[in-house]
Amino acid sequence: MQYKDYYAALGVARDASEEQIKQAYRKLARKYHPDVSKEPDAEAKFKEVAEAYQTLKDPQKRAAYDQLGSHRPGEDFRPPPDWQQQWQGPFDEGSSFSEQVDLGDLFAHLGAGFARGARGRAQMSMPGRDFEVAVPISIEEAFAGTHIDLDLAMPEYDEHGRVRPVPQAFRARIPRGATQGQRLRLAGKGGRGFNGGRNGDLYLDISLRPHPIYRANGHDLYLDLPLAPWEAVLGTSVEVPTPGGAVRLKIPAGTQAGQQLRLPRRGLPRPRGEPGDLYAVVSIVLPREASERERTLYRELGEASSFNPRAHLSQEGSHAH
Amino acid sequence: MRIDLNEVIWLEAETLSFDELLERSGLPASLLQELVHAGSIEPLDPAAAPPQYGARALTAARRAHRLHQDFELDASALLLVLGLLDRLAELEGRLHELQVKLPRRLG
Repeated sequence: MQYKDYYAALGVARDASEEQIKQAYRKLARKYHPDVSKEPDAEAKFKEVAEAYQTLKDPQKRAAYDQLGSHRPGEDFRPPPDWQQQWQGPFDEGSSFSEQVDLGDLFAHLGAGFARGARGRAQMSMPGRDFEVAVPISIEEAFAGTHIDLDLAMPEYDEHGRVRPVPQAFRARIPRGATQGQRLRLAGKGGRGFNGGRNGDLYLDISLRPHPIYRANGHDLYLDLPLAPWEAVLGTSVEVPTPGGAVRLKIPAGTQAGQQLRLPRRGLPRPRGEPGDLYAVVSIVLPREASERERTLYRELGEASSFNPRAHLSQEGSHAH
Repeated sequence: MRIDLNEVIWLEAETLSFDELLERSGLPASLLQELVHAGSIEPLDPAAAPPQYGARALTAARRAHRLHQDFELDASALLLVLGLLDRLAELEGRLHELQVKLPRRLG
């Protein structure tokens, strides 16, 4: 069995008081709880912290944990000879230590043992655990649908009703219509139920990976469409990429920077109903360096034009006085 | 060997009864009832009887269950936290919407 240092996980001394343990947990839970945290890897860190707290907050479990001694985290160890008899013996007669036993699982079930004993547990029906997994996909995969390979450690009950992670390989179909934040449910594909309990569900939480061209908002897509000043003034026709293939887009004369040109139904498909739209967001860009000829033409344009892009500033400014 | 999973269900396409919501969320019945009464978890159609719940309600109820367990929150605290998290999600959604509409060099 691999040792886990629960005191180190909570950042407290081995002689910390119950109050200090609770305070440390609250602080770390606030930082890493997946529902409130933006920290990378928050879920895994919170799992460590929660596992440590579940054991150390309970005086009986803490005493049992302390009797295991102090080892290096990850070090293989065996509990003292009388430990199992003292803490597990009256309850978990059917179980024994093995290399696969997870320390967190062992202590989670010490609680069940204190409460009703392993025999009671073995007769109970328990639903399988639900399992959620984050599934990042590309915009192209969302558009066309895809298959993804998942290698999960599925929480399964053993014959004693104890949960342990069992490696499970899945190939899941992601149908067309997925987008950021959507969730798919695979009924009954989570952890298996125990003693007739229903199987848990597997939830796939879809996220879209950043794309070099498209930005997704729901099922709508946005892309930048840079235009040269003369293209914006005179209008033109440009080729625009879309997930379904390039299309030609007419740019009307007098197009302004910031305008969004809509290509209906060229965004991501929806599970039901019309696909989203694709918006080309116009920006007007200038060449970094202008040739002498271009500068001459701009000068001529400036002299010929009566356009004042700051007219509203002088008007509004004079109103203010 | 890989197990093929083809029977996927869009969460958005499902409707659940109160009992199904209760079972799938893992919340104690009294707490779920309180969250529903307070409007923190809403049925799809408030006028429908019996009420049916959608993906939004299930996501909120599962989140409530995690927060209830992990922070030992009572109903009042849970209502406050869920309300603030909803507000945060709404603001993040608006910010995201504005960001995708800005040209990238300005965004």
